[in-house]
Amino acid sequence: MAPPKQMNLKDAIAQIQDGDMLTFSGFTIWRRPMAAVYELIRQGRKDLHLVEVNGGTHSDLLIGAGCVKIWESCWIGHELFGKIGANLARKAEAGEVVIEDYSHLQILYRMAAGSMGVPYLPTYASLGTDILNPKYDHLGQMGLRDGSHPKIPMKKYEVVKDPFYGGELIHVPAVNPDWCIAHVQMIGEGGTVRVDGQVYSDEEAIKASDNVIVVAEQVVTEEYIRREPTRNLVAGHQITSIVELPWGAHPTGCFGCYETDGSFINKFFTRTRTQEGLDAWVQEWIHDIPDFNAYLEKVGIETLETIRANPAFGYSTKIKRGTRA
Amino acid sequence: MKNRHALTHPVEFKPIDLLAVAASREVTDGDVVFAGTGLPMLAIGLAQLTGAPNAVCIYEAGSVDGHPISLPTSVGDARCIYQASIASGLFDVFNQLQRGLVDLAFLGGAEVDRYGNVNTTGMGTYGIVPEKRLTGSGGNSDINGLAKKTVFIMVQEKRRFKEKVDFITSPGWKIPKWPGGEIVDKKEVYNNAFRGGPEAVITNMGVFRFDENGEMYLSTYHPGSSVEEIQANCGFEVNVSRVQGETPPPTYGELDYLYNTIDPEGIFLS
Repeated sequence: MAPPKQMNLKDAIAQIQDGDMLTFSGFTIWRRPMAAVYELIRQGRKDLHLVEVNGGTHSDLLIGAGCVKIWESCWIGHELFGKIGANLARKAEAGEVVIEDYSHLQILYRMAAGSMGVPYLPTYASLGTDILNPKYDHLGQMGLRDGSHPKIPMKKYEVVKDPFYGGELIHVPAVNPDWCIAHVQMIGEGGTVRVDGQVYSDEEAIKASDNVIVVAEQVVTEEYIRREPTRNLVAGHQITSIVELPWGAHPTGCFGCYETDGSFINKFFTRTRTQEGLDAWVQEWIHDIPDFNAYLEKVGIETLETIRANPAFGYSTKIKRGTRA
Repeated sequence: MKNRHALTHPVEFKPIDLLAVAASREVTDGDVVFAGTGLPMLAIGLAQLTGAPNAVCIYEAGSVDGHPISLPTSVGDARCIYQASIASGLFDVFNQLQRGLVDLAFLGGAEVDRYGNVNTTGMGTYGIVPEKRLTGSGGNSDINGLAKKTVFIMVQEKRRFKEKVDFITSPGWKIPKWPGGEIVDKKEVYNNAFRGGPEAVITNMGVFRFDENGEMYLSTYHPGSSVEEIQANCGFEVNVSRVQGETPPPTYGELDYLYNTIDPEGIFLS
């Protein structure tokens, strides 16, 4: 495999085609590749098929902006800062985006199977729920499981007998997204990836994907990152492109670097409950801004300094979070 | 200074305080507990400071036995891993769940039925074009299916306590067996991985538990509430034959821990 190329965000994102299947690093409102999502919207990507272990601010925005046709996952929202993914809800209720529901463990296993190179994994997860109701196999109902779509499995799941110990469980199909876009703290020039704090489902998402764009807070020499190989998550030969972009996960948080900007996310949630509100937000924060540096200037140094993490803890000790302190 | 073990009076605590306290009392010392964002974080924190100092808390995003000194606002929060034994990821903690290591989990939901089936997916008609989409399952369905005991914390409203939930996101005691969909006992569906299910539903009005047949009954009503009020706010007929009386209110010590140790910033306890 060719070594990964370092490039700017615009060129990295330009590699992604309309209709591609995408997944992401992070967890709900933590370590999401937000700058990359802004760039996907700026470039007007359409008909994307998202398969993600869980959703969050990044995917709710991408869906609201009209870039997505299918969303396969288990959850979307903004945690404490917005109780539902209102953009997904609106688009789904209007018939503009199709949701395929899996449970958290099921979709994690789909990604894990993809990362292992096996076609499926067995699990007991979420048996006896309507997630397995054939009526809600939406891609199947739409005739998309006919084998003509290489990234869409021919069944949502399969009930199987345990051939070894008896009993019954399900197989969930592997997924191999075209692209994973990951935001991490550090990457070597040769693509060695280091993630600090919880790794969420990054390893499965990166290793399942055919191509990987890593957006990193810092690019360092391979010599430096290989001094402590036990701290590294993925080797460079599984990485396609490297982008250095500090603060690139804002407003989501990045362990050891900065806190989730909850106030920003809450304003996003409040303002984008309607399509008009979302369109205005996208105009203001994406189209009216030439690049990510201008975005950071608009966010402001005061906010960025407030959410900057204290190295003793990995989170900010300056941010005001509750109503009493 | 009041005696920390003395019970408070109704005017001295808020409904949310009693929810957190009642939930914390469900934890047995030594339990491995799966907790989600919000009230469950208060409950497990309080349990560890009171009756269950050796309880181990696992957060879904991938942290094991953290001891945050600043309250996390979500399970993916950097705060979760302060003094944790392991900062890992979903593959580690969900495998622990499936492996049968989780004794107790705290969960929430938009709708619940008498068998502890919970909906967090959609209200009204669901399908390719849903009537009203909610957040989705997250780990709720996996955890309710595979933990030994689960405790739900919910708002008591007639539209939320339903004879039949609009979508079974999270499996209770009587559930559909797919692909056919016939309703059977949970044990029959989970076979080798069956190890329990919903233990209690704690609302702003009372505490419900489940009988031998997996049916919900009212166990206690909170101070200030009543059997009548709870029935009026429940969409199905509640079994009240086993009501034990009032839910014990928080102690002064429990309130002190909640407001001054666990959530001094007022994140969930504003």
